[in-house]
Amino acid sequence: MLALQLLFNAIALGAAYALVALGFVLILNATSAVNFAQGDLVMVGGFGALAFGSLLGLPGIVLLVPLLVVMIGIGFLLAFVAYFPVRKRPPDTVFITTIAAGIIMSNGANAIFGPEPRATPSLVSSGDWQIGGLVVSYQSAAVIIVAAALIVGLHLLFTRTQIGRRLRATAQDRDVAASIGIPVNLMVAATFAVGAALAGAAGLLLSRNFFVSPTDGANYMLKAYIAVTLGGWGSIPGAVIGALIIAAFEVAFPALPALIPALAPYAEAFTQVWSTVVLYVLILLILWQRPQGLFGEAVRARP
Amino acid sequence: MRKALFLSLAFAMPSLLPLSGPALAADPSIPVLVPITGFLAVEGKSQRNGAVLALTQAPGGLKVRHDVSDTGTSPEVAVNAFERAIDDRNTVAVVAPMLGTQMLALLPVALQAKMPMLTMSGTAAITQQGNPYVFRFFPDDHVTKTAQVRFAVEERKIAKPALIYQTTAYGQSGREEILKLLKARNITPVYQDALDVSQKDMTAVLAKAQAAGADSLLVHLHGGPTALLLKAASTMGLKLPIIAGSGLSQPSTLALLEPAELATSCAETGSSPISAETPEMQKFVADYRKAFDQDPDAFALGQYDGTMMALQALAGGANTPDKMTKALASTTYKGLAMTYKSNGKGDMAHSAVVICFDGKSRVPTIAKHYDVN
Repeated sequence: MLALQLLFNAIALGAAYALVALGFVLILNATSAVNFAQGDLVMVGGFGALAFGSLLGLPGIVLLVPLLVVMIGIGFLLAFVAYFPVRKRPPDTVFITTIAAGIIMSNGANAIFGPEPRATPSLVSSGDWQIGGLVVSYQSAAVIIVAAALIVGLHLLFTRTQIGRRLRATAQDRDVAASIGIPVNLMVAATFAVGAALAGAAGLLLSRNFFVSPTDGANYMLKAYIAVTLGGWGSIPGAVIGALIIAAFEVAFPALPALIPALAPYAEAFTQVWSTVVLYVLILLILWQRPQGLFGEAVRARP
Repeated sequence: MRKALFLSLAFAMPSLLPLSGPALAADPSIPVLVPITGFLAVEGKSQRNGAVLALTQAPGGLKVRHDVSDTGTSPEVAVNAFERAIDDRNTVAVVAPMLGTQMLALLPVALQAKMPMLTMSGTAAITQQGNPYVFRFFPDDHVTKTAQVRFAVEERKIAKPALIYQTTAYGQSGREEILKLLKARNITPVYQDALDVSQKDMTAVLAKAQAAGADSLLVHLHGGPTALLLKAASTMGLKLPIIAGSGLSQPSTLALLEPAELATSCAETGSSPISAETPEMQKFVADYRKAFDQDPDAFALGQYDGTMMALQALAGGANTPDKMTKALASTTYKGLAMTYKSNGKGDMAHSAVVICFDGKSRVPTIAKHYDVN
């Protein structure tokens, strides 16, 4: 039953991480630049949910709608402040501008909400189902369902709608997209908006169980970066799988001695610290063998 | 409060009297240098609030300037802020950041400038370097961990604890002290694990502690991770007694937990102002809430006491950094949380308490006081 519990917890955590990584990879594909503010957008989403919860007194699932609207606005703003003014400069410049934007968000949240960790309203209600020894909290179940719905919605947006096709075309080749009349700049700004909305949704989903504080951004950013690197730089399914792998390591690997009695004498090798070491060694091994990541396409220069 | 101030003055005056004489600086200044952004912002904000409250309640009608500077998380920023602060010739002491790495960087600068620093930093090394200008008003790890371990062993009768600590310097330092104290009682933890501050899911660590046969959890984590651990333990239905570090005593941590999730928990801390044991403490809590719209924690109270001790000395004539240093080094001061006296190294606080929760309220009761030499 412990194994099932850990699996459930890992999926709930990984589902939220996947939203962060998806937003990250969408912006990466559209701009060929890394948005280092992605983790801070998660934090902003958490505090946004907290603010809406205090104002409206409604459950998180209802707050998701106004939160997504606000995050879309923040995404547009981020594009116009941190990307467009420097888009013709070397990609490093975008790194710096998005880092600066993230620091502004972090310190802004500190000034407005204070440094204390906070918990956001639950998505539906508090409580849980007890199934045998398995504890399925309403919150974690709702996190999985909402994250899955958002990922499916995103998939439909990209594959079944005109704007989705335009977004994909822009991400694949901006010059060709522009030559056939697609408003490339608007599509790039829209991608920032979608990326920010996904990060904001992740913030709402994560902040009930795991709280939110102004300094959380860096940790989420690191996880998104690693998920995307592991899954395949630029691969959307890869970002989701990468996020789930990270969550699985975080949740399940340290519990192996409790799951497999034969490993109990070696419990010292399965601490949280060692699980992080093993995760990063695994990433190195994968990247040595597949530099393009698990789902990335190998790219070679034409001779 | 007035009674407390009177008593404090009466207690402190004999040793302050020799210092009185010269006229007070016309415009004395005690700058407040604290980390109010970055990972230590919660504690830094408490430190700032405690200092500022004391400075606005200075005894004897004293008016003391107190510019507040954010030291963030880097030593360079702290050193720059300190150098700016001591540039002012009216500065008689500095409220120095509680971040250990910043304090270590400030020690040589303070030594050169001969400027006393009032701090809440728990890093053991800062008072072990023979620097006469550092005064720590929060009990160090030896004091707080002694309270934690003694309570666990003597009151909760634990014999097979699991020790869960943070990977940070704070966590490592606390762990070493706990292990030393357990060893002295012939107790070895049946399980130990170090958690990164970004760790979200605590199921695995609790499952392993349970599988190892632990009869209790000794926890030394920051506030947020402590709340995550207690939530996970509650969800898993774990009934083991939890004796936590001071992270659990912070009101911001308690706000993250339901009273029922605190039911089996106790925690060490320097003091517990929200338990409001005395009328003076009740007044402090009321003043603090009025000024900052939140509850005070042990850091706020410790810094309040420390700053008030410096203000008492200033009122008694310690109007230069040199006189202030001598006063702080030689005076006994009865503060709200405890009686403060330097051990010759600058450690001023030698008491701690263990607080416990009844599962019905977030307000703890003080289960035990410990004075540690």
